[in-house]
Amino acid sequence: MKSTLKNPAVYIMFVLPTLVLYGLFFLYPMFSSVYFAFTDYNGLDATEYVGLDNFKNAFSDTNFRTAIINNMYFIVFSVGIQVPVIIIFALLISNVKRLKGFYKTTVFMPSILSTSVIGILWQFIYDPDIGPITDFLGWFGIDPIYWLAESEWAMVAILITNAWQWVGFYIVLILAAILAIPKDIDEAAAIDGANARQRAWYLTVPLIKPIISVVVMLSIAGAMRVVDIVLVMTNGGPYGSTEVMASYMVNKAMKYGEYGYGTALALIIFAFALVLTFIYQRTFGRTERIEY
Amino acid sequence: MTRSLKNSVPHVVLLIYVAIILFPFVFVLFSSLKTDNVEISQSPFGFPTELNFQNYSDAWVKAKIGTYFFNSAYLAVTSAVVGVLLAAATAFAITRMKFSVSSKLIYGIVLIAMLIPGNVLFIAQYKLVDVLGILNTHWSLFLPYTAGALPFSVLLVAAFMKSIPGELEEAAIMDGLGAAGLFFKIILPLTVPALVTVFIINFLGNWNEYLLSYFFISTDSLRTLPTGMVGFRDAYQTNYALISTGIVFSVVPVLLLYSVLQKQIIEGLTAGSLKG
Repeated sequence: MKSTLKNPAVYIMFVLPTLVLYGLFFLYPMFSSVYFAFTDYNGLDATEYVGLDNFKNAFSDTNFRTAIINNMYFIVFSVGIQVPVIIIFALLISNVKRLKGFYKTTVFMPSILSTSVIGILWQFIYDPDIGPITDFLGWFGIDPIYWLAESEWAMVAILITNAWQWVGFYIVLILAAILAIPKDIDEAAAIDGANARQRAWYLTVPLIKPIISVVVMLSIAGAMRVVDIVLVMTNGGPYGSTEVMASYMVNKAMKYGEYGYGTALALIIFAFALVLTFIYQRTFGRTERIEY
Repeated sequence: MTRSLKNSVPHVVLLIYVAIILFPFVFVLFSSLKTDNVEISQSPFGFPTELNFQNYSDAWVKAKIGTYFFNSAYLAVTSAVVGVLLAAATAFAITRMKFSVSSKLIYGIVLIAMLIPGNVLFIAQYKLVDVLGILNTHWSLFLPYTAGALPFSVLLVAAFMKSIPGELEEAAIMDGLGAAGLFFKIILPLTVPALVTVFIINFLGNWNEYLLSYFFISTDSLRTLPTGMVGFRDAYQTNYALISTGIVFSVVPVLLLYSVLQKQIIEGLTAGSLKG
């Protein structure tokens, strides 16, 4: 009996393919990244060890600094503006009696689609000549705006598109947590005379704090990872005004062949993400488990 | 009166939001049936004057959307299926078989990968597929897609398999099944719900993947939909009706899948983000 589940041949056969793929596409790239990051590897000249030069260069690279700031915009926008909106919509949906399922299904929909296709779709919507936004603004007498070609608008345009894609996903996450709260707590508060807004603010929101904290974490992680939408919609332009860390890293490597420098940037991005997550968990993200 | 008014306020707000979500889809669908940019710009919000299906055959054949579609479909399906099977086999070995030390080790290593955001390894993976000599072939996507899905898939399937009662396999072993037979005949069928979830997550991830497929594939006929669409946009920049058709082709299969499996998709993707 025991021997059947102690058959080493079967065990090895079952874990080996996974371990091989895993070693090849995770472990090996992890180690080679660390190695590349300390070299001037560019695919042409002989590769030399350059110590910390890549990292020093990264922090004096004004383009990369701009990219870091743009990532911060993503974080501020998604945490400061999106998260409150997400909470409000989740509360609204949880309180309606009819169409709950319809709202949930619809708002979730954009998050299952390809970011690159969404980028193309929104380019069309933003088109100053034939896009619908131009027409819409025209009703109010506003001149066409070259959303993606003007430095001061391009970032806003991308942030809106990104929000359009992801807000619904987080609404559903929070909605699930709200619906998991036992009904009798809410009913008790209602009997005590609390109105709907009071119940939402003093009862529901404190109870869903842990999931809100998770949503903030995921938003920060998502903002650090953002790349597809930038590459598709503006490729970092105009004049680097929408360049984010990951798109800058990808372009450095793939356009200019600076693999060594690019991997150093990748490691910096990774370190940034770790530090931000750590700081968040140590400060605002502290939540106790809630038992009902 | 005031009560019913009060009750309808949330619906009004939510319906405005729903309209914002749905508007781009309706807009693209209408545009795809219009003849050209002139007709779109004349009334961006209007119905097409006459249904013009010419764009659909043009996009499918001339603009190779059909080729991209096929590439995406078979890559997304094969790597999701292989990923699910490998993950299931590994999860079976580390949760049900009696090699606790190495199983814990494997589980730990797999967990580490969940911490690394995908982009970070991009350049190193590019160099790897280059060295392996599979750059610009579908292998350069199939292998990283399959590998990339493994950590999460193993964790999710392992969690599910742990909950299967041990009496079941004892009985099966009494009846003379070996470890492999036990896996295929007993455990795998019981794990189907978890496997479906994992398959859906992986399939959607592969179908939508952009970064690798843009930089690892340079031959046009090997491109997948997300990258093919970008090339398509660059080539037909002036013809929004045709671009809209391309968007419809790439969005509809996912929406069809969603209309059938929305519950599994929502559960799978939200669970995926929480584990990850």
